[in-house]
Amino acid sequence: MNRFINHPVHSWLGLAARWYLGGVFVFACLHKIAHPAEFALDVATYDMLPLSLVNLAALTLPWVELAAGLMLILGWRARGAALACAGMMVVFLVALASALHRGLDMSCGCFASQSVAEDDPISYLTVLRDSGWLLLAAYVALFDRRALGIDRWLEYRRRRPATA
Amino acid sequence: MTGRAKNGEIPAGLLAGLGGALRDAVVLTLVASALGLLVNLFHPRRIPYLAEKEYQTLVPCPVPGGEVTPCQPGDEMVRAADSLPVDARSPAQYASWHLEGAINIPFDYLEPVPQKLLDELNLRLNRRRARRLVVYGDGKNPDSGEQLGRELSGKGFRNVFFVSGGAPALREGTAAPRPEDARHE
Repeated sequence: MNRFINHPVHSWLGLAARWYLGGVFVFACLHKIAHPAEFALDVATYDMLPLSLVNLAALTLPWVELAAGLMLILGWRARGAALACAGMMVVFLVALASALHRGLDMSCGCFASQSVAEDDPISYLTVLRDSGWLLLAAYVALFDRRALGIDRWLEYRRRRPATA
Repeated sequence: MTGRAKNGEIPAGLLAGLGGALRDAVVLTLVASALGLLVNLFHPRRIPYLAEKEYQTLVPCPVPGGEVTPCQPGDEMVRAADSLPVDARSPAQYASWHLEGAINIPFDYLEPVPQKLLDELNLRLNRRRARRLVVYGDGKNPDSGEQLGRELSGKGFRNVFFVSGGAPALREGTAAPRPEDARHE
């Protein structure tokens, strides 16, 4: 078990996972940040939050996505960012599963609003895709070795012997 | 990853530092959320922090739509023997008035046409040896007749026409011109 956990391949797999996941989250938030009203409508369509919380969720969630995505790409507190991503994926999965269970026929709203994403209907494939991203986030949270990134650089500076 | 694990145990190294990561995740969430709320103050498309009115979240079914051709209530084809009229209105409206020989297939924005009704429509088409479907609806905008026509066309029915102005125009014998008509022609 330890040999698997300590295998050097995790450094590079973790880095690839970090960049991919970070890219996905940054890409996903752009339209939501630019068009908060449309994203609020998407949130409302899932019919899971009380009306008073819909706009608050629509205003905050994309920024958490952006921050987590950038932190993953830059390698700054990446495990925390991955945990935040995993938390968001759990929330999205619950919302998707609930919408599918209730038979809502709607666009996912994951990357763009309903109005421009007519070809992105929710389905069990969407659940599968999000589950994959959840696993990826969990992998980064558990296996990140700080390969390339700000964390690595900070660690290097901390460990560098002081010179006269 | 310096933790040593005995057989069957979760190595401590894998979970080491996860508490700190959890703290980072919470801080990230709080700071980013605050930033999002702050940015909304200056956003050109800002929205109220608390929704003031219910969102219109009616989600239409993505039923595949097909080609449909408009026709006028006075057109010969509407009452021709080789046309099968289809009434897209509710059963109650159908009961109060309908074109002679029309079959009632109520259009629902949320539900596709049930297979049972499609089978019945096929049966009537064959019995009547009809060459075209002439659908009429409530004549509103959007017109349920046009919507049903698109749905039927998308499901493989050919030569689907819809009556501009719907049932009200048919009863009056004239059609109110609608801007959509120009688009279909």
